[in-house]
Amino acid sequence: MSPVLNVRNLSVSYNGSRALDGVSLEVDAGQRVAVVGPNGAGKSTLFRAMVGLIPHQLGSIETHGTELGYITQRSAVDWSFPVTVHDVVMMGRVGKMGWLRWQRPIDREVVQRCLQEVGMAAYADRQIGELSGGQQQRVFIARALAQEAGILLMDEPFSGVDASAQETILEILSQLHEQGVTMLVSTHDLNLAVEWSDRLALLNGKLIAYGPPREVVTPERLAEAYGGQALWRGEDYAMVLGDIDCCGEGGHHHG
Amino acid sequence: MAELLDLLLEPLRYPFMVRGLLASFMVGTLCAVVGTYVVLRGMAFLGDALAHAILPGVAVAYLAEANLFWGALGMGLLTALGIGYIGRRGQIKEDTAIGVIFAASLALGVAILSLVDNYSVDLTHILFGNVLGVSDTDLWLTAGLGLVVFLAVVLLYKELLVVSFDPVLAATLRLPLGGLQYTLLILIALTIVVSLQTVGVALMVAMLVTPAATAYLLTRRLWHMMLVGALVGAVSTVAGLYLSFYVNVASGAAVVLICTAFFVLAFLFAPRRGAVWTWRKGRVGSST
Repeated sequence: MSPVLNVRNLSVSYNGSRALDGVSLEVDAGQRVAVVGPNGAGKSTLFRAMVGLIPHQLGSIETHGTELGYITQRSAVDWSFPVTVHDVVMMGRVGKMGWLRWQRPIDREVVQRCLQEVGMAAYADRQIGELSGGQQQRVFIARALAQEAGILLMDEPFSGVDASAQETILEILSQLHEQGVTMLVSTHDLNLAVEWSDRLALLNGKLIAYGPPREVVTPERLAEAYGGQALWRGEDYAMVLGDIDCCGEGGHHHG
Repeated sequence: MAELLDLLLEPLRYPFMVRGLLASFMVGTLCAVVGTYVVLRGMAFLGDALAHAILPGVAVAYLAEANLFWGALGMGLLTALGIGYIGRRGQIKEDTAIGVIFAASLALGVAILSLVDNYSVDLTHILFGNVLGVSDTDLWLTAGLGLVVFLAVVLLYKELLVVSFDPVLAATLRLPLGGLQYTLLILIALTIVVSLQTVGVALMVAMLVTPAATAYLLTRRLWHMMLVGALVGAVSTVAGLYLSFYVNVASGAAVVLICTAFFVLAFLFAPRRGAVWTWRKGRVGSST
């Protein structure tokens, strides 16, 4: 396996204070990476810096032979905006269309296929605000697929969706995994991260550990990451206490 | 039936009414289409400020006995770029910056105009429009610049849609966020300049916001919103002008009031989003 993504020594500062300090990650093609850490650990910052939404002061991000697709946090979207599901997924094609061009038949085919892949083709003409949280998440996955991004970055995809919607999203992710799509998912659910991922990145400002999940998650490292907020539960790995608000991190970036 | 037709045709015997109607129609559609972005991106205050900020330019052009249009154009573009620059620098909040520029420009404009003896009449025309004073030159300028704005909206449709809906995606697609923001500000400024004579500075924001907001309540896709908004804008401006012809009320005010009537209807009765709809749904929901 060759790496598709190399993050080397990435450092990001906001207003003089360091949000990320020397983070290095190497991700192989097709791997599922979970990024875990407490609130304010820099999970969103890491993703945003990787796609160039916020500048980084040090380090580099390299992708090999594919692009990054960023799936926006649900809380950052205006769901009353007059766009249909089809329109949203078509936005993923804008980069491929180029300036002053209209959508081509190929773009419509790709949109249709991506919607089918996430099981949302029947909802193509719905206004996006009419969907449930899980369905909205699936539409945004379809949009990243329409971008033809080989690496998906998902920032808290399970926040604010119910258990069955989470199950559906996980099924879609395992289909994508079979197709060889590389995925990075940030979550505050440590148990889910350990079960789901091939590699786990434990983050708190700096990268505390990165590797196979069952090797990374040790009581000492969890204590380091969560400052004693993690509750060790033997074979069940961990439950995180005091981590109720998962979406406050990073804030919104407009314009 | 024939009487109604007479009623509609009667004003057309006057060339100033024909010019006024043409200008109104163009301004009504253009304001609504550009206003779609004003509504969706929450730029109503900015639009209002931009409209008032052109006053010094108009005043200077007036004193220099040049066409007011060019003064408005210069000042409009300058203000759009200024607000865009301050917004991107981010030292103070954008609406604070707009508030400062807005009031300062208005004061400067009034100060310059007050140097003229009979300034109250002219100030009234600038503030509330003088659609019946539209000249042939004005009409051509409106048509030409309006077409430029309209073409830009069509050609940049998908880019402006993406930056408005999801700036994060726009950034990952490497779209020039700053450039598109400035472009939108310039398009709004041009629309305001074009509409100055028809609706005036004070009521401009109504033309930018009300038809688009009406359409927002009735539609679920961006280009549908633009079309319905344009229809509401065109019908309101033309109907307003007829109203002012027969009832002798100020034309700008008549236009805005008709627009507002459409908005109230949509607000109350729009399918799914209207107040009556949600109220009835709430009652049905509680009884089952």
